[in-house]
Amino acid sequence: MAERIVVTSLGILSALGNGLDANLHALKAKKTGLQYAKHLQTVHAKDFLLGEVDMSNDELSSLLGLPTGDNGYTRTTLLALIAMKELMQGIDKNQLQEEGFAFINANTVGGMCSVENMYLDFLSDKTEGSFTNYIDTLDCAESTLNVTKYFDVSPFTATISTACSSSANAVILGARMIQQELVKRAICGGCDALSRFTLNGFNSLKNVDKEPCRPFDNTRFGLNLGEGAGYLLLETEKSAKERGAEIIAVLSGYANTNDAYHPTAPSPNGDGAYNTMRLALDKAGLNPADISYINAHGTATINNDAAEGKAIERLFENNVPYFSSTKPYTGHTLAAAGSIEAIFSVGAMQRQMILPNLNFTTPMEDVNIQPATSVIENTMVNHVLSNSFGFGGNNVSLIFSKT
Amino acid sequence: MKPVYISSAAALSPQHSFDNEELLPDIVSTDTGKLYVIDTDYSKFINPVAIRRMSRILKIGISTGMRAVQLSNHPINGIITGTGRGSMRDMELFLGDMIKLNEEALNPTYFIQSTYNSVNGWLAMQTKCTGYNQTYVHRGHSLEMALLDAQMLLNETEEPQTYLVGGLDEMTEDYFLVKSKKGYWKKDIPNSLQLLKHNDTPGSIGGEGAAFFTLTNQAENAMCKLAAINIIQNPTEDIIKAAIDKTLADNNINIKDVDVVLCGLSGDNRFDHLYKSVFDNMTAHTTIAAFKHLVGEYDTSTGFAMWLATELFKHQQIPEVIIQKKGIHPDIKNILIVNHYILNSASIILLQL
Repeated sequence: MAERIVVTSLGILSALGNGLDANLHALKAKKTGLQYAKHLQTVHAKDFLLGEVDMSNDELSSLLGLPTGDNGYTRTTLLALIAMKELMQGIDKNQLQEEGFAFINANTVGGMCSVENMYLDFLSDKTEGSFTNYIDTLDCAESTLNVTKYFDVSPFTATISTACSSSANAVILGARMIQQELVKRAICGGCDALSRFTLNGFNSLKNVDKEPCRPFDNTRFGLNLGEGAGYLLLETEKSAKERGAEIIAVLSGYANTNDAYHPTAPSPNGDGAYNTMRLALDKAGLNPADISYINAHGTATINNDAAEGKAIERLFENNVPYFSSTKPYTGHTLAAAGSIEAIFSVGAMQRQMILPNLNFTTPMEDVNIQPATSVIENTMVNHVLSNSFGFGGNNVSLIFSKT
Repeated sequence: MKPVYISSAAALSPQHSFDNEELLPDIVSTDTGKLYVIDTDYSKFINPVAIRRMSRILKIGISTGMRAVQLSNHPINGIITGTGRGSMRDMELFLGDMIKLNEEALNPTYFIQSTYNSVNGWLAMQTKCTGYNQTYVHRGHSLEMALLDAQMLLNETEEPQTYLVGGLDEMTEDYFLVKSKKGYWKKDIPNSLQLLKHNDTPGSIGGEGAAFFTLTNQAENAMCKLAAINIIQNPTEDIIKAAIDKTLADNNINIKDVDVVLCGLSGDNRFDHLYKSVFDNMTAHTTIAAFKHLVGEYDTSTGFAMWLATELFKHQQIPEVIIQKKGIHPDIKNILIVNHYILNSASIILLQL
């Protein structure tokens, strides 16, 4: 039996706020972070509610002690740095470095949030100007490497991009690298900043809702986009105990599969989601009945929730655990969603509570299940399943368990 | 970790690398500083309805991947790719339209295809492979991460398994222009075949390509063994030397037994020194060869080098056009690939017959 992989530190930034406490407080208060754009410069600012982190790039930079203005840091990286700051609190950087660690990051569009505002300069005759600081920021690895630079560490690095399941995949890779003894610890997660590119991309697919999104509701129409970053420090239970670290949760199971069905839509009966959840349970050595809560992918798109709902119903049969989507709070944070929701899952377990699904009124016609709609406390939360599904048929499930 | 085996290889590149009996026939060169993939008949590999809306890199990536699957004796258990740039052209088109049309009436196809894992999704659909699926987007280590992931997966199982692993990157006119502002390319552009002689100035020439492999834990009928992958961030001359020494030592190979080193020399005077130890330390036995004058510089060029290595094993001869220093080895059994990418990364890969 392989060594247990545990979570020993967390960092999160979302539309709900900076830090785990702020996020859990808002979740518990059923307070959404969705609002009209304040910082994203888009013609659709008054059309769509967004889960925007309520700080400008200059405010984020100041919080990080970085110069303001065109400092070469994209918003994607700034969000990542803030979340990483929380994770690194109380962590002995030198020990991390000496004993060997990985930083596995994920995002969907790199520094598009900056590049899209300078792209005409990129293509112009101009060869000088502050825009040149951003030429190498479009690719996805930019935020990964800038995080290591900011914290002055040299971990093994990798960047993953599998659309909306990206950072859940980062968590899996980190766990596997530890198990293979390639590294002793791994910081895993993802970051994505709102960009006009992404907003218009999803809008061109006609699956962005102008109203607050309604996961698992029969009247759902689409998603709201969000931004943020979330990171988890993983290590073996033994390594955590060696350094006297508090063990927050156990990563007991995970799975990655592909629908092999359609570029953007899930298999309609939820076969992909079903397989992924089942494999994650097998990996954890758990039965469906052991799961106390599912933090669903629940984007509130017509296709996702129907497929995921059917998969949940099929796997858990008459014993469906509490489940909810937290996307009405944060918006869909894309590559960051997997790790942000992994952190919510861990937080729910720490506080032994079920996180409610907002905006649910009408049960879906095609399934017989309903999400939790109020905060449920004083309940046993021992094992939490967190789903992340993405374009390209990429499905990931993670299972976190109490220590 | 245990080594893994390559059971098939396919590459679309600026050279005649795809489905050729002959090794690198009719070498292609350019004076434009841009080497583009030679098209193949993509309709042989992709659903004819789907192909009409597909961008070039999707066609290149999917066709190369499908060819590697066809050439393998094993069914695949999962698909892992690496790409530094994804579908650059789709991204440019969506972004360009978004700016021009002021965020109205945009074509979602470009957006969907610009997703970095879109080739993975298509390959999964076409092969009906519902297993593991992953995409690395880590600049010059994108393909290396995909290879490492496959090696890990094959070490995590006792069952016979095979993974389709590949790298893909495309160059566009706009990409070339934008990166020229960051000193990626030579200002005075030489003919591509003369690139490595112009190593007294910064910059290289632009390139692109796709290379896919099936990696398996089954040794029978394999093309070669992928013995080691060494991933290096912020390489220096000394780090490269130490990593080569370690790679050889870990695999019980004497430096005299290295038959060929494929170097990622790019004609860029800022990076040429990374290969100094190869030239200084390899013995008269070893042939030192290069490949970027044939395919240009791109994030996943290691893929072309790996494909080339499988061809060298197969043909047991080395085309003159790649030789930098000829060795006296009687045959080709051990090939070392030493490659760097402009954004401070390098890798060392050992392949064995």
